[in-house]
Amino acid sequence: MTTNSTVATKKTRRHVVCDASEITPGERRIVNVDGRSIGVFNVEGRFYALHNGCPHKGGALAEGPICGTTLPTDSRDFAYGRDGHIVRCAWHGWEFDITNGQALADRAFHARTYPITVEDGVVIIET
Amino acid sequence: MRYDAIPPNGGHPGSDYELMREQLLDRYDMEYVILGGDEAIEVSTLANPYYAQALASAYNDWMIAEWLPRDKRFKGSLVVAPQNPELAAAEIRRLGAHPDIVQVLVSSGSQRPYGDPFFHPIWEACAEFDLPFALHLGGQGGLNSTPIGCGPTTFFWETHALLAETGMAHLASTIAHGVFEKWPNARLVMIECGVAWVPPILWRLDEDYRALRKETPWLKRLPSEYARDHVRITTQPLEQPHNPSALWPALADIGAEDMLMFASDYPHWDFDDPDFLRIPQEWRERVLSENARALYKLPQRQLKQMTDGALTR
Repeated sequence: MTTNSTVATKKTRRHVVCDASEITPGERRIVNVDGRSIGVFNVEGRFYALHNGCPHKGGALAEGPICGTTLPTDSRDFAYGRDGHIVRCAWHGWEFDITNGQALADRAFHARTYPITVEDGVVIIET
Repeated sequence: MRYDAIPPNGGHPGSDYELMREQLLDRYDMEYVILGGDEAIEVSTLANPYYAQALASAYNDWMIAEWLPRDKRFKGSLVVAPQNPELAAAEIRRLGAHPDIVQVLVSSGSQRPYGDPFFHPIWEACAEFDLPFALHLGGQGGLNSTPIGCGPTTFFWETHALLAETGMAHLASTIAHGVFEKWPNARLVMIECGVAWVPPILWRLDEDYRALRKETPWLKRLPSEYARDHVRITTQPLEQPHNPSALWPALADIGAEDMLMFASDYPHWDFDDPDFLRIPQEWRERVLSENARALYKLPQRQLKQMTDGALTR
C-alpha cells in the first residue's frame, strides 16, 4: 500500500500498526516501523503518533508517563488539567503535548509527529 | 578606595564634588552619573528595620538636597531598607516621583532572594513609579544570610570574588517567582555582581525550567527570555579572562549587548576606566550609553552641556 507523492524521490509509506481496539483510550503502544521507534497514543478515542526520540537529548520520549500538567495561570494557583494529553519524556521529564508534539516549556522544541489514521478499525501510520 | 580620590582637604573618597567632577565626570566626558549611595545600602544588615529605614530615608533626603542640585549630570538612587518591605515601599512612594531619582537601590546581601513574595511590596511600589529595582554588591553580614552558598569565607578577596553568588540567587528568584509577569514593567539591575556567570546560570535555569515548568505555571517564557527583556547587569568589575575575547561569545549568546551597562565604581579600589574597557567595538555605544539611556529614560544631552556641567544650570 503506497500513495503517490508529488515529489517523485520521496515516497510516503503506510504501515498497519494494529487493530484500533488494541490501544484503548489513555493507553499507548511503542511500535517499530521503517526502522524507527514510534509511540502510538490513544487520547480520548483519537490516535496520535510521536517519534520516540526526544528533541532534547534523544531520550525515550514516548515511554514516559502519560499525564496532565499544571495549567498556565496569571495567579499563583496550581490547577491540574489536560489529563491524558501530556507525555513526559522518560529521560529528563520534558512535557510534550501528545496531540501536536509541542514541548510545553519551550516553543522552539517539538517532538516529531507522524500522520495517523484509523481505517476500517485498523490503525495506520505514514512515514 | 582609590588613594588619589581622597580629597585634598581630607574626608572620604567620593565626598568632594569638585574632585569627583575632575576625576570622573569631566575627565571621561560623562553624560550622566548615577549615584550609588555606597555605605547607605549597608542599612540592610541592621536588625532594627525602623532605624534602618530611617537611616536610608535620611540618606535619600541628604542626597536629594546636597548632591543632585550640584550637577545636571547627577541622577539619584533611592536607597531602601529591604528588611521591612512595607516601610521600603512607603519610602518609594514618598520620593519615587522625584524627577532625578532613577532607580530603587538595595544591597545584594539580603535575608532571602528578592523574588520572594516577602519583597513584593517593594516590587509593587517600583512598578507604580516605573523605577528599576537595583541591587549592588554588598550588605553581607549582620542580619543577612551568608552570601556564600556553603558557609563563611575567610579572606576579603576570596569573599569579594564569591559575592557574585548573591546575584545568581536574586536573578533566579526574581524570574521564578514571576515578578516580570506580575509587573510587566519590572526591571532588575545587578550592579557589581559580575557578568561572566550570567550566561551559564541562565542556560542552567532554562534547562531546568524546560523539564520542571509545571512547578511555576505562571511563567510564559524561558528564564533567559525574561532576563533579556527585564534584567540589566553592569560592567564593573568586568572579569578578565586569560584571553580577553573569551568573555564575549557566551555573553553574546544571551543577548548581553542589550543588557550590559557601564559602571565605574568610583571611587572604589576596583574602579574601571571607561577608556580601558575591553568590550567589542560594536557593543560600545550600547554598553556605554544607550542601554542605560533606555532603562533610565535619560534624554540625549548635548556635549556642550555635558562639559559645562553645573555652570550651565
